[in-house]
Amino acid sequence: MAASISGLLKPWTPRVFLVRWSRYNPYYLEPEVRKEAYSTPETELSAEEKAQRELKALRPIKAATIGVNSSVFSDPVLSKFINMLMTDGNKVLAREIVTQTLESIKRKQVEKYHKAPEGKEEEIECNPYTIFHQALENCKPVVGLASIQKGGKYYQVPIPLTDNRRRYLAMKWMITECRDNRHRRTHMYEKLSQELLAASVKEGNVIKKKFELHKMAEANRAYAHYRWW
Amino acid sequence: MAAQGGVVFQEKVSRLLSRQDGKPALKPNRPLVLRDAVANRKLKKGEATCITEMSVMMACWKQNNFVDGLCSSEMNAFYTCVNKAQAAMKNKSEQSSLQGGRLHPKQATALLRRYPNLRTEI
Repeated sequence: MAASISGLLKPWTPRVFLVRWSRYNPYYLEPEVRKEAYSTPETELSAEEKAQRELKALRPIKAATIGVNSSVFSDPVLSKFINMLMTDGNKVLAREIVTQTLESIKRKQVEKYHKAPEGKEEEIECNPYTIFHQALENCKPVVGLASIQKGGKYYQVPIPLTDNRRRYLAMKWMITECRDNRHRRTHMYEKLSQELLAASVKEGNVIKKKFELHKMAEANRAYAHYRWW
Repeated sequence: MAAQGGVVFQEKVSRLLSRQDGKPALKPNRPLVLRDAVANRKLKKGEATCITEMSVMMACWKQNNFVDGLCSSEMNAFYTCVNKAQAAMKNKSEQSSLQGGRLHPKQATALLRRYPNLRTEI
């Protein structure tokens, strides 16, 4: 929709350049944050990339948000998770919790590594980032349910989900589960690290929730024809 | 074109509303003004895509008691089908808007909102 409208706009430079906004005219282009895009020499670019670069020289570009980073340690999935954990705009606290979570995961895994017998040392994963990604992958549902009205009644119809939606559901389930079902005295990072470690080996409440969704979808597979897209 | 036929049209409307020729033919409960929007209408009703892949995957799930690792090939087939269907829908919507000769209702509404009907004289 935005792409078609931006095709109707004539070439135009804005009189006031927006810096701290989040809603832009569809004419604005996304900023390029990765370092590799700027360090490749001219000869290695394909024709499309050259055309894209020329376009970037003429069009206004959106301001990059604080969350995106061009360092090697930045991870868009982790940034999204931190944003979802944040309440009342307290990004500092959310980032603290997530760093403490990763640290506690690392500590537990290193403890297991040192206590493991000789043969099993390579199998234990010590990198907390890979454990986080693996846990999220295991939590992502494959199909979702949509409430579709047909003949006066509402049916739960199984539908395929987009990648963004699946990632959002996995993160949301993880965060709500850690907020609701923890003991009064355990810290959030403690509970999160337990859940992430359990999810990376396909155990735990979040995986159970995913399976329940799959079972509901499988039970309602007769209504799959009510979809029209 | 509208300006030339406009006066005649307005006279016809006022004649339909007046009581001079017996009862008025029109009794509008809202002002007779055009809206600055066009109704959203999708002509063809589409069908559900990727149902075979989904049913194959669900049969596999039922057999293996919903363990994910054993159904990976069916799940990959389902994902490829879904991606293809989404790409096809995107291409189709772009093509049909350009070729049909008519404007998409959302684009028409956007243009009408930029040049709305004048409601006041100032």
